Amino acid sequence: MNSFLRKNIVMLVTVLVMAVFLTAAAQGMEKKDFVITLLRGLAVGSITFLVASGFSLIFGLLDVLNLAHGTLFMIGAYMGWTVVVRPDTFVDLLTPLALIVSGFALGDVYPLLASRIRLGLSLRRLLPWALILVSILLFGFILPRYPIAIWDVENYAQSPVTFSFMADSGARLPVMPAAFTEVTMPSAFIGLLLASVIGAFGISLFDSSPRTVRLSWKNFVSIAIALIVAIAGVAFNDNLTAFLYGLSSNWLFFVAVLVATLSGVALGGVMEATLIRPLYSRPIYQLMLTLGMSAIGIEMVRAIWGRPEFVMPKPAFFNGGGEACPATNFADWWANNCSTILILDGRVRVYNEIFIPIVGLVVLISIWILLQRTRLGMIIRAGVQDSQMVEALGINVRRVFTMVFALGVGLASLGGVLAAPSMGLSNLMGESLLLNALIALAIGGLTSYPGAALGSVIVGMIQQFIIKYGQIGIAIPFTEIIFKPTPPLVPASTVMLMVIILLLLPNGLLGKKE
Amino acid sequence: MENILDVQNIHTFIGQYHILQGVNVRVPKGSIVALLGRNGAGKTTTLKSILGLTPPREGRVVFNGQEVNGMRSFDIASMGIGFVPEHRAIFRDLSVEENLKIAERKKGDYLRKKDFIFDLFPDLKRLIALPGTSLSGGQQQMLAIARALVPDNQLLLIDEPSEGLAPVLIESMMAAIHELSKESTIILVEQNFLVASQLAEYYVIIEEGRSVQDGKMKDLAADKAAIHRFLGAA
Repeated sequence: MNSFLRKNIVMLVTVLVMAVFLTAAAQGMEKKDFVITLLRGLAVGSITFLVASGFSLIFGLLDVLNLAHGTLFMIGAYMGWTVVVRPDTFVDLLTPLALIVSGFALGDVYPLLASRIRLGLSLRRLLPWALILVSILLFGFILPRYPIAIWDVENYAQSPVTFSFMADSGARLPVMPAAFTEVTMPSAFIGLLLASVIGAFGISLFDSSPRTVRLSWKNFVSIAIALIVAIAGVAFNDNLTAFLYGLSSNWLFFVAVLVATLSGVALGGVMEATLIRPLYSRPIYQLMLTLGMSAIGIEMVRAIWGRPEFVMPKPAFFNGGGEACPATNFADWWANNCSTILILDGRVRVYNEIFIPIVGLVVLISIWILLQRTRLGMIIRAGVQDSQMVEALGINVRRVFTMVFALGVGLASLGGVLAAPSMGLSNLMGESLLLNALIALAIGGLTSYPGAALGSVIVGMIQQFIIKYGQIGIAIPFTEIIFKPTPPLVPASTVMLMVIILLLLPNGLLGKKE
Repeated sequence: MENILDVQNIHTFIGQYHILQGVNVRVPKGSIVALLGRNGAGKTTTLKSILGLTPPREGRVVFNGQEVNGMRSFDIASMGIGFVPEHRAIFRDLSVEENLKIAERKKGDYLRKKDFIFDLFPDLKRLIALPGTSLSGGQQQMLAIARALVPDNQLLLIDEPSEGLAPVLIESMMAAIHELSKESTIILVEQNFLVASQLAEYYVIIEEGRSVQDGKMKDLAADKAAIHRFLGAA
């Protein structure tokens, strides 16, 4: 008992302080406000957690501070939005994206190919650059000519905002299918595939260490999947588009979540393999690289989706209305799919304040199981401490690095697409969330997975309670004064808490001493 | 006799420092070879260079007839080399059992070798569920060696197994290493000459990054002058 107390003292004190804080907060407001604020805090905490957990996994294992993580969260949101609002654009994009990835899916084959090339030293140095140049030229020639049906940021009637608004009201603008005019379909297809393979081969040449590779069918599974997707994207373009347009908003939302998460995973994998990997020996440059990626990502989103903010339509499952709403109990809600439900007289938005925390909890548990119960998780936990020793055991740590980076970016994208219907989409959504996530991690402990969850919930709660008190005011005891926290106090309060906690516990609440 | 490992004139740099400046080590199959030398002579770096953890810039490392220098560490290790590093490098966040399981190269390695390992280190069996942090120094050393035994390794690189251990523990450690040498070849880095001389058949003395003398251990044990000159021990 005594040792249990000593080991978990920080956790117990934290829980106690939170309980006192929440009880105090409950005194100053009506019960319904309290419930709503609590749930909102959990919701913001869940989204923060999705970003923070990926960030902390990547930092823990790879020692990479991925400052682009917030931008990747935003890209996830915009990807999901595109699937829901413009399924035709998404279908048109399938083929080129799958082809771009396909070259990198062949990673294990390149060392074998490289070992067959006999060249002089200077030519050998030149070869990767030459290949990458050829690849970029090919991409640069084909991609702008590849037909993709897309909105027009400059023209309001065809702008993302209009499409978003129409989709929200359940209608669709008629769309013009794009057709191959400037390049023929087969040449575009083969050209992109070649460009990707050449580029990926060129990048793989930077790593000159000889390797023993035993080729088996497993090395070709991922490229086969990429090619099947690419072929399906062109061959069944019309059918796929019609199919997606015919889907109910629930299924379309599900597809959007899946697509956003998977494209996050693919983006993360390619990013690690091409940009992060060459810089492991130079961490400062890595940091600058991720910072630059973040800026580039934001500008790309501005160029493609424009600056106006919009909200992704909620799936019908969480968007019902009418006589029976707000629902007063779960059965009622299930029958009517009300957008709101009454809990202790408070109107709670089901998607924002119930669905998102549930997803957050599911992810929390799934990743926990992955870390504690699988071999991959075991390798990750060991690698966080000593990746060199893991490698000395004969484990390909670099492959695990790529997987963890992909997983982390996938989690951020999942967070983005989930936040799109509740928080809405904007060019700056990633930056503010990354800041929240960093504060949450500093509070919870940088490389601690439970710490990421605890820190995120604390940050979410504090912000939501301060926002709420900004509306109703805090009656200072024994005085007539009513104190209303101003909006700038919302981010400031969490930063202040972070400073206090870091002064008391330099490793955060649940972080381990190094 | 056939050499399982042949290290030929390797030069290794760490940062800009030229740590190894020509190290030769020949390891006959089935033997124990001790790397001797003062602190900072380059013994640990030699082990790490064999595994590619600090890749040599020049020279060759030939394992089982195949040149492995330049290959990635995990590929080299997968060819059948086990590493027991200085300071043990037990994974703190893993239980004792997980510390063993993570070393599997084929599924089922751990189940297959379990009995052998627990016969060798009976202490580990009752600690199996504990986290790696809670072990004493001696237990950590046993676990580090046990971890290298999980896959089928033909060569074990063991760095300073007696460091920081109580005399009683050193003896059981030596017994275990002696037992292991029946199964696999061992390269042993050891400061304690008494321990090294009792275990190893061959020795290589490394001084300031160069291998300066090698031969049969029993010849060296008789040569008090050489021991004093190279190792500073009586």
